Amino acid sequence: MSPYTLTIMIFGIGLGTTITLMSSHWLLAWMGLEINTLAMLPLMSQHNHPRAVQATTKYFLTQATAAAMLLFASTTNAWITGEWAIQQMTSLIPLTMITMPLTLKIGLAPMHSWLPEVLQGLDLNTGLIMSTWQKLAPFALLLQIQANNPTLLITLGLLSTLVGGWGGMNQTQLRKILAYSSIAHLGWMMLILPFSPSLTLITFITYIIMTCSTFMIFEINKATNINMLATSWAKAPTLTSLTPLVLLSLGGLPPLTGFMPKWLILQELTKQELTTTATFVAMTALLSLYFYLRLSYAMTLTMAPNNLPGTIPWRLQFKSFSMPLATTTMASITLLPIMPAMSTLLKL
Amino acid sequence: MTPVHFAFSSAFMLSLSGLAFYRTHLLSAFLCLEGMMLSLFIAISLWALQLDTTGFLTSPVLLLAFSACEASAGLALLVATARTHGTDRLQNLNLFQC
Amino acid sequence: MTYIMLLLLMGMIMGLVFVASNPSPYFGALGLVAVASVGCGILVNYGGSFLSLVLFLIYLGGMLVVFAYSAALAADPFPEGLGNWFVKLLVVVYMMGITSFSFLFSGKWHEFSWVPVDEISEFSVFRGDVGGVALMYSFGGIFLIIGAWVLLLALFVVLELTRGFNSGAFRAI
Repeated sequence: MSPYTLTIMIFGIGLGTTITLMSSHWLLAWMGLEINTLAMLPLMSQHNHPRAVQATTKYFLTQATAAAMLLFASTTNAWITGEWAIQQMTSLIPLTMITMPLTLKIGLAPMHSWLPEVLQGLDLNTGLIMSTWQKLAPFALLLQIQANNPTLLITLGLLSTLVGGWGGMNQTQLRKILAYSSIAHLGWMMLILPFSPSLTLITFITYIIMTCSTFMIFEINKATNINMLATSWAKAPTLTSLTPLVLLSLGGLPPLTGFMPKWLILQELTKQELTTTATFVAMTALLSLYFYLRLSYAMTLTMAPNNLPGTIPWRLQFKSFSMPLATTTMASITLLPIMPAMSTLLKL
Repeated sequence: MTPVHFAFSSAFMLSLSGLAFYRTHLLSAFLCLEGMMLSLFIAISLWALQLDTTGFLTSPVLLLAFSACEASAGLALLVATARTHGTDRLQNLNLFQC
Repeated sequence: MTYIMLLLLMGMIMGLVFVASNPSPYFGALGLVAVASVGCGILVNYGGSFLSLVLFLIYLGGMLVVFAYSAALAADPFPEGLGNWFVKLLVVVYMMGITSFSFLFSGKWHEFSWVPVDEISEFSVFRGDVGGVALMYSFGGIFLIIGAWVLLLALFVVLELTRGFNSGAFRAI
């Protein structure tokens, strides 16, 4: 893709999300989502591969359907209450109706099945955009509509964590595993949305940091399935020793950053006297932890059989270590000590 | 629920279920998408006409522009799919099963 | 006017039942043309003649030409119209669904006015929808810019999506 076109498309993605973030009117929010989807399409199919084109088609179908359903729900709201503002979704039927397209857009559990297939068709850089930046706009809308229906959101959240854990179990493709991990994390966010939206935001930020780090690590290793991870020690030994920490941080183990949102969410759920839900969601996190652990095992804890030339690459000068990778990796490993500051911010 | 409200709601829901249950042609899925946008256009313009809010009548035109963009992107994807997969039948979009 | 409105609304639903019930793309496009023209009639009955004109031009003049062109690309050797049993079955299922939903929602429909009260329309030169759409060029400046930008973006998207394939059918020359 020519750099000029690339600039236009990147600008379009940014513009769409920004329009949605700054809008208070449903029509403008819908326009932002449409611009975002349109500008994302050429980035997805830039390699002209059948898989990429197929992933683009599936993405376009789901996103266009979700955008039309979003506008339909807000039009119904306008016909019932005469109100187009995002924060004034007072009627209950459109409020429930509008949750569905938003969850379809970010890929929550009953509407999740497009996400692994689409992500599998992309290269890792585009997949990084897809699983972080493309989720911002629908997520901001979900935060703004103040969905005060805890039963629906808790059901969606539990289902997502379960499906995200279960679906990733028998996968060997890294991008599908990351897609299921995204579904599981979004499930945690949905779970806490009716009780503490700021906690949802913190979970989202930590999810973005950890996912950025994981995608960039896989991009450096050029790894798309588990077997290809096994030779990563020959390319970048330091990064290979840090990667299990990032993966376990995604899984939510205690001394790492990923533990913070899960801890706070479980605490908040317990405060709301939803101990059964909290127990169940902690159990489903074990499913996710299993495949993160399997990734770390294949990557670091075993010595893969290599022929002699395969062990060479670490001697070569390796240029593509980048600042974002270092920053996000460090942030996704060591941010747990700022948790008191986070919980103070939550009380503001 | 007024009759007009019922009419465009059911029109939208029909197109949505047509899109969701489609199994044959990609082009027909895009046609159902166009049907959704058409019912939305009618819904929004009827809302503005019924409440006599003339200032809001710009929005159906903008909606039409955006849906035209969406349709053009869909047709471009149809052409791209026909080039890479040879046909536009939906059962050929099966590269990611595992 | 109420009877015409009733006929038009039923025509819209019938047309979309046909579009949704899985026919071949030719017939689907035909059904969408029918629905678009019926929608124009609904808008005219509501007093939005300019919007109806815009809808007519866009759908029938622009979009359906493109769809007819693309239907050649998605051609079937045996097109499935209403004669096919599967399409018939789906039409019957959708009609039954719509009928049951209309029984569910049809409380007090005789009390509503089916067309808006538009008393002074015979004496007015300046229609509301003409003025409303024209507002886009004065007050809605940012919206106009966004609309223009998205059209330009769609041009680039289409060019980029259909560019550079050197294999398969429809090769670039």
